[in-house]
Amino acid sequence: MNIFPENVSTYGQELDNLFWLITVFVMIAFVVSLFVLIYPLIKYRKKPSIKAEYITGERKKHFKWVVIALALLLASDFVIMYCEHDAWDQIESVPAKADVRVGIIARQWNWIFVYPGPDGILNTSDDVIVDELNSSLHVPINKNIVFELRSQDVIHSFFLANARFKQDVLPGRTVVRWFNLTKEGKYDISCTQICGILHSKMRNFVIAESDDKYKHYIDSLYTANGHKTTSAK
Amino acid sequence: MDAISHKQSFWTKYIFSTDHKVIGMQYAIMGIIMAGVGGFLAYIFRYNLAFPGAYIPLFGHLSAMQYNAFVTCHGMIMVFWVGMPVLLSSLGNLLIPLMIGTDDMAFPTVNMLSFWIFFVSALVLLSSFFVPGGAFGGGWTMYPPFSAGGYVNKNPAFFKELFSGTSLMILAVALELVAMLMGGINFLVTTINKRAKGMTPFKIPIVVWFINIASVIFMFSVGPLVAGAFMLLFDNVLGTGFYDPARGGDPMLWEHLFWFFGHPEVYVLLLPALGVLAEVFPVFSRKPLFAYKPIVYLALVSAILSVLVWAHHQFVAGIDPRMATFFSIGTILISIPFAGIFLSFMATLWGGSIRFTVPMMWALGFIGLFLIGGLTGLYLGSNAFDIYAHDTYFVVTHFHYTLFPDIFFGFFAAVYFWFPKFTGKTLNSALGKLHFWCTFFFFNGTWFVLFFNGLAGQHRRINDYSDFSLIMKEPYMSFEKFATVCAILLILSQFIFLYNLFTSLAKAKTSVRNPWQSNTLEWLAESPPPHGNFETYPEVYRGPYDYSVPGSTEDFLPQNVPVAHGEAEAIANVQNGITTSTNTI
Repeated sequence: MNIFPENVSTYGQELDNLFWLITVFVMIAFVVSLFVLIYPLIKYRKKPSIKAEYITGERKKHFKWVVIALALLLASDFVIMYCEHDAWDQIESVPAKADVRVGIIARQWNWIFVYPGPDGILNTSDDVIVDELNSSLHVPINKNIVFELRSQDVIHSFFLANARFKQDVLPGRTVVRWFNLTKEGKYDISCTQICGILHSKMRNFVIAESDDKYKHYIDSLYTANGHKTTSAK
Repeated sequence: MDAISHKQSFWTKYIFSTDHKVIGMQYAIMGIIMAGVGGFLAYIFRYNLAFPGAYIPLFGHLSAMQYNAFVTCHGMIMVFWVGMPVLLSSLGNLLIPLMIGTDDMAFPTVNMLSFWIFFVSALVLLSSFFVPGGAFGGGWTMYPPFSAGGYVNKNPAFFKELFSGTSLMILAVALELVAMLMGGINFLVTTINKRAKGMTPFKIPIVVWFINIASVIFMFSVGPLVAGAFMLLFDNVLGTGFYDPARGGDPMLWEHLFWFFGHPEVYVLLLPALGVLAEVFPVFSRKPLFAYKPIVYLALVSAILSVLVWAHHQFVAGIDPRMATFFSIGTILISIPFAGIFLSFMATLWGGSIRFTVPMMWALGFIGLFLIGGLTGLYLGSNAFDIYAHDTYFVVTHFHYTLFPDIFFGFFAAVYFWFPKFTGKTLNSALGKLHFWCTFFFFNGTWFVLFFNGLAGQHRRINDYSDFSLIMKEPYMSFEKFATVCAILLILSQFIFLYNLFTSLAKAKTSVRNPWQSNTLEWLAESPPPHGNFETYPEVYRGPYDYSVPGSTEDFLPQNVPVAHGEAEAIANVQNGITTSTNTI
């Protein structure tokens, strides 16, 4: 059994690797600490004839053990930080080349998707807006999808577990992030910042599909929505 | 000082009392009552998580709105109306004057006022359940604009908004913070000015040190939050726009103000409980506390670092990605002093003569559980993994593994340890052990499985997961049910404690002054200590942890025992390896 949901993004594997790396450190620290805690409980259990040792722990001879342990902890902390830096950079810095640019708007209680119109530029008057409950964001696979996150009311958070991606969406600011999905499929989007009574129902999908299917979908959007692209914005 | 000459009516003795012990008890009792409320809320929404939409015994059906409100209030109550009163106020009030050898707090009336403001704050919070619309349900972090009514109406009706669940919660928190501030000032002034003769700073027991350091952290961080809370209140009732982006405000401002307090708050709760461990371990290992002075310095370092880590709660909030590195490093650094403190406690056990009394078991259980809580913090301190784990059950489980041992194990260690002192009676130790093992097992049963739900992508504050395919499958559904059953048993286990408490109180006084053969000054007073505490002010000659001192016949030397002739040489001989302490008696 895999403990994570299936990863379908280019950067997701890095986070999973990071998890296992940290787990190695955590397991070692856990086992050693448990030994340090439990061993004396057995060894030094009260015996009538033996008096406790007088150790204040303030002499170098004794306190050095704490210092050594702390140094090891600090070192492993920085190893983790060094290793994670790459993953953080990848996820948080948007690549220069955007294959597809879309808008994602959060509103109580739905995710709204905005595709550029025939002019191919987002935030123009011919944008196509999909504003339906449980709708899907269609994206082509193996492409850099750059999206602009906005909120119309309160704070929401865009979570795509299969891509290992999450980003809070605050009203008043536009957050630009990206992903690149590698496998066709339909994946849950959820809102992870409590936003009111239907917070639990703020679930939409990302549909990752081949280039052809994606183009077909966009074309169908243009024909269906062509007449109201200006008013919808 | 003359304990007998005080004549007090029932009201001045037990209700509007200025006696630090009565106030400490009032805080503890209030904390226990509020823990009952918080626990009951937890029972309701855990039941709903395991059996969505089912009829909940003792409650009924839970709506989505109630679910949100209960989850929010559970968090609020457990942090502000349980953790704070039982760990900081109750322990601070009960212990500080006795442990530093004085008769009362520096400002007894302020102290009384502190409790009664706290009492009112609890009433204000509880009343929010009964106003139209119910209690606030936007998470205990109260992020605006949601907590500011979403700015639907820019000219709010003042009174209607003032008596809404949101405003009442903000008011209750603000009042609670004022009460804690009054207590904190008292702790500091008392400790600085009223110590017994001879009690130099490095002869103060660790628990007193830690409560004071916690008070300093609290006072330093609380100002911005109170200011922020009033801005939020104004946004609600006056229609200002401090957090409204449409009018030049920014919701991110609240996130910073909230977490600038909210993260140090974790250490405000942690330090007093760690102080309890520092008192319990030496007594029941009959050994000096390992590294007393370094522990004090480590705690002081942690106090400084505690205000430099807050934005690790905001890694995915939209802060500049480059800023995250700074807060990640801060988070890593603050783990170091606390790891040092924990390691020193564990080192105290080595070479000791360990007695498995009930308070000792709670203290050891605290360390064991906190180990899991602390180590899972490593995952979350890493800002990259936090992108995935943030706001999932991984985080929820992590902080329950830190706060539950902290608040409850720390408190119970203190209760079983100091109960004989403050009541003159003894708790049943067989029941105490049963209480411990039930709490320990059912706590792990409740939470450990939920780490896996979190890793599977289960996000928090959702009353119904039926839309989410990642969660609506095995084994995660079974984990939910298992956690709920354990949570109910965990709550039921606490009745063992209540039964033990009431039956022990009904017993006759045993009236032993120093049942654990401990060194600190509170054990010199009568059990329970009368108004005024000591017959004569004690004088202090030594540190609080002189156990098994070489050359002495007893294995403990209370702080008021003068240093014997030749004691220093005997200690030096042992420490330099000339003789061994084990064989001197």
